Amino acid sequence: MNITRRLLGKVALGLAGATMLMPGAFAADKPAPFDKPGVKIALVRYLSTGDFFQAYLSGVESQSKALGIDLRVLDSRQDAALQSDMVDQAIALGVQGIIIQHGLTESMKDAAQRAVDAGIKVVAFDVNVENPKIPQVEQSDKDLARLALEQAVKDDGESWNAGYVYVAGIAPLDRRNETWVDVKKKYAGIKEVAMFGTLDNPIANSVANQARSVLQAHPDINVMFAPYDEFAKGVKIAVDEAGLNKKIKIYSADISTSDIAAMRETDSAWAATAATNPAVVGQVSVRALAQLLAGEDPGHSVIVPPTLITQKDLIDKDIKNMEDLSAKLPQFAHADVAMPAWMPNPNAK
Amino acid sequence: MGNDAVFRVDGLRKSFGHIEVLGGVSLELHAGEITVLMGANGAGKSTLVKIISGVYDHAGGTMSLAGHDFAPNTPAEAIRAGVVTVHQNINDGVVADLDVATNLTLDRLSGKGASLLFKPGRVRREARAVADRMGLAIDLRARVSDLSLADRQMVAIARAMAHQPKVLILDEPTSSLSSAEADRLFSLLDRLREQGVAILYISHRMSDIRRLADRIVSMRDGVISGVFDTKPLDYEGAVNAMLGRKIHLDRIEARNSAKPILTIEGLRIAPSARPISLTLGDGEVVAVTGLVGVGKTALAETLFGLRKPLAGTMALNGKPYAPASTGEAIAAGVFLVAKDRGENGIVGGFNIQENISLPFHKRMSRFAVLKRGLERATARRQIEDLGIVCRSEKDEMTTLSGGNQQKVMVARWMAQDARLFILDEPFQGVDISARRDIAAKLRASANGRATLLFVTELDEALETADRILVMSEQTIVGEHRNADVDLDRLLAEVAGGQLHSAA
Amino acid sequence: MTLRDYAIRYGFIVLLFGLIAYFAIAADGFVSPQSAVFIFQSVAITGVLALGVTATLVVGGFDLSIGSVATSAMMAAAYVMVVLEQNVVVAVVVCLLIGAIVGLINGWLIVYMRVPDLLATLGMMFLLVGLQRIPTEGRSIATGMTMPDGSVANGKFADAFLALGRHRFDFFIPNLIPVSVVVLIVLAVLIWFFLEYTRFGRMMYAVGSNERAAELAGAPVKAYKIWAYVISGVFASIGGILLAARLGRGDIASGNNLLLDAVAAALIGYAVLGAAKPNAFGTAVGALFVGILLQGLTMMNAPYYTQDFVKGVVLVVALVFTFALSGRGRR
Repeated sequence: MNITRRLLGKVALGLAGATMLMPGAFAADKPAPFDKPGVKIALVRYLSTGDFFQAYLSGVESQSKALGIDLRVLDSRQDAALQSDMVDQAIALGVQGIIIQHGLTESMKDAAQRAVDAGIKVVAFDVNVENPKIPQVEQSDKDLARLALEQAVKDDGESWNAGYVYVAGIAPLDRRNETWVDVKKKYAGIKEVAMFGTLDNPIANSVANQARSVLQAHPDINVMFAPYDEFAKGVKIAVDEAGLNKKIKIYSADISTSDIAAMRETDSAWAATAATNPAVVGQVSVRALAQLLAGEDPGHSVIVPPTLITQKDLIDKDIKNMEDLSAKLPQFAHADVAMPAWMPNPNAK
Repeated sequence: MGNDAVFRVDGLRKSFGHIEVLGGVSLELHAGEITVLMGANGAGKSTLVKIISGVYDHAGGTMSLAGHDFAPNTPAEAIRAGVVTVHQNINDGVVADLDVATNLTLDRLSGKGASLLFKPGRVRREARAVADRMGLAIDLRARVSDLSLADRQMVAIARAMAHQPKVLILDEPTSSLSSAEADRLFSLLDRLREQGVAILYISHRMSDIRRLADRIVSMRDGVISGVFDTKPLDYEGAVNAMLGRKIHLDRIEARNSAKPILTIEGLRIAPSARPISLTLGDGEVVAVTGLVGVGKTALAETLFGLRKPLAGTMALNGKPYAPASTGEAIAAGVFLVAKDRGENGIVGGFNIQENISLPFHKRMSRFAVLKRGLERATARRQIEDLGIVCRSEKDEMTTLSGGNQQKVMVARWMAQDARLFILDEPFQGVDISARRDIAAKLRASANGRATLLFVTELDEALETADRILVMSEQTIVGEHRNADVDLDRLLAEVAGGQLHSAA
Repeated sequence: MTLRDYAIRYGFIVLLFGLIAYFAIAADGFVSPQSAVFIFQSVAITGVLALGVTATLVVGGFDLSIGSVATSAMMAAAYVMVVLEQNVVVAVVVCLLIGAIVGLINGWLIVYMRVPDLLATLGMMFLLVGLQRIPTEGRSIATGMTMPDGSVANGKFADAFLALGRHRFDFFIPNLIPVSVVVLIVLAVLIWFFLEYTRFGRMMYAVGSNERAAELAGAPVKAYKIWAYVISGVFASIGGILLAARLGRGDIASGNNLLLDAVAAALIGYAVLGAAKPNAFGTAVGALFVGILLQGLTMMNAPYYTQDFVKGVVLVVALVFTFALSGRGRR
């Protein structure tokens, strides 16, 4: 019933058209300020290169559109100082809400506080701005790593030699690392024989170069844990180049169309990945912000649960791209997080 | 007038290392009078100016301004005392990115007691006052970089005059101005003269000198070689004093040539210049002489395809010759040893061998691949031929003396047979023995081509050429067969006067 | 020759062999044919870029756009094959054309518009980083991707194209040498021969050392400069092709790290054999030097930031060799 009603709302919205010139049809049953279109929000980004961030943005866009929000995207391209300035820019633009996407706690904490002081509602995704008034949207990185590693234990037993790809100082990678540390503690048989990693772009190419050296130095590695799909792609290139694809299994986090293709390859070393749909995370970010703006409380911690995706799933269900994945793994397409009854679901078709 | 000199220099000396540049120079400047200082390159004019304007200190002698000792340690001190210099490079005198008003008042912005704040209104008011006093009709809001050279020059002078100096020094102010632009400068100088400023005007241009000079002082080899202040002024005497009359020659066997190689008809190299016509013959060595800035280099560059003539035609070996690029000139057999080898000739990253082969890569390669054996053999032959002192053809250019560097430049262009061989100031910065070597080599190898030298120093022409042409005001004004040269007439032509003028 | 001359001439080569000896002892498995081949493979892409930028250094210029030319070529290759569903020949030709056109524009900006080389190519770099995102609205390109208009791209990377990144030639050991290494070696030999032995290369050096003298010696200086940028652009696009073939998709990337590594290799090349000038052999050795260093350090589990640090140290030392010791600060 619930879904049907939302569906109808969506249809009405579709009829109203993207033009947003028909507030009568639009008003539906949404609380202020969403009874009228044109609520202005800004997305202030730290990271934007890569499929994940692109999909995240599309999620933000689709949910914004469903809510009739006027979205401004400010992209600092990994410039922490600029990102902080961009928050001020957004304040100056007169937005009602801001989503801070990634960044450094040190540089964003004060900026976020300034926005709150200016009466602007703020949510933060994947960056801890240490502010009780700001809900933290997170894909549960610990769960991501846990799901992937549990699958590794299931596939390969409790004792293996691992190559681990990690770059310290990036919040989600740090959280995934915590799980890795725990897992290593739990299973004495799991040994980390090499750790490497770099964010030099193109990341996959740079990681491939490193992974080749690592494979050369440590021929005993049989599992690669690469909890970020750009890392995993690089590792897969190196494994293929070294001809070790049947001997080594790669476990990762995150997913994209090209990742799906890489996992589906014959004898692909990429066994499984755990992923939160970045588009869903984007949608949840907007929804959490919308709740704040409507005077509701999404909770301080808004966690988007991940999904485990194995090579077997992809082949058995003939999943070829992200659309197939959403269609055939429903838990991947939508998360029932920050979904009050009035909230339009952009995925409803 | 000797006693009312505003500015006096007495026995000024200056050396750089072992080389004495000024050997006791004495000079007086009088209020309301333009004194022209003439001197060839290296005579010491610039050094003198730099000492007076406080850039260099001096080793001996004294200076006085209006009866008081004058010994500036910095240019700023000289300016405050009332001695202002406008240097040759106009852009040193103005700030191109600022507007005229700011330029005119720039020195007050940073001087003592200047206001901390930049007040556009006050700046414009003061600038207007300066401009009016000078009769300057330039938009004060225009950016200096948008002005013509002449206007920039005016601004530089006006800026200098904003200090209301007693002495104004101008170092070759017309070297980059057209004659119409120069006229504006002259009327400005007339006005300053009337206002009682003592002006020292340094120039080679005889037309400037005739127009402006109240007195002429000639300099040569670091000393004053003549002072001319009785009217009418003896211009030829001044040129003579500047160039020196100690021309003692290894007599040249002047040759005649019947077979023309290059014919020039009605060639104009500057807008207001009279056209040039001349013929150069096979086996002939012809020197073109004249003061700096009379168009020698312009003519050389026109012949070599670096600039287009404004009018006229050229023919090489009877065929029309109008090179659009240096490449075309070289292909036609016209070679140029450019002046100032450091700037225009030497490739610093290359050794002797590579420097010699530079223009002839095409002729020294097969399928674009250089024949290194041929390149080395050519270099060795040329080193031998010109007597270049070096360890091997692989030596770096920096290890060579100036004379040997110049020999390499000449050797570069003598590696292949030329139809017309042009050398622009080939003896600049070259010691006497290298100069003799090069001259002898040029004469010995002259058959089969026409050789054209451009030299400022008269004795270089007399030592080397069969024929001497004199340039003045962007055209050729005289021709002499180097057998029984009428030196008086030649000097008169260099000085740019009518033949056998009153003096 | 004095000791100092020897130090200048062979110092860097000695350092290189010292490094190899050190890693041979310190890192297990460092000495093997596979390891050697891998070092070549890891520097193949930056090496090709570095050889291109060497050409611009020779004429006294600089090309900051090579990294983004490479990533733009990679995106173009992916776009042509995946979205436009064209074959491998079209993809390669389009990439090379992009490189040549960017080079021409760079040259035109620098020679005719008189924009200083660093600024012109910096501008081009930003332009390309943006341009490569426009067709896909910032998405990376892979088979099955959803286009901005909602359609799905069904093209595939041609097998022949992927072979550029994945095929290996037999060389004593079967399946040893990847195509990219062969490309690197062929291009290195070509550009080395071109610069050292042909009249065009010689004149490019003359232009770089004294432009006015080169012009007075009859060289069409402007054409030489523009050609240098075309060479640089084409080499960068070849690097982009290799990158696309290795990754098997079109990745959005600025290529700044490619640029920095390539420039470092070319500058280290100044110090090789005391050349004190840009040269192809030195550039190749410089690229290898960086490759060996990174391979060894990675094998010893050194984290990425120490690698950046060491790269920087090597570059600084090389520049000291070049400019201070040899006393030929001029380029």
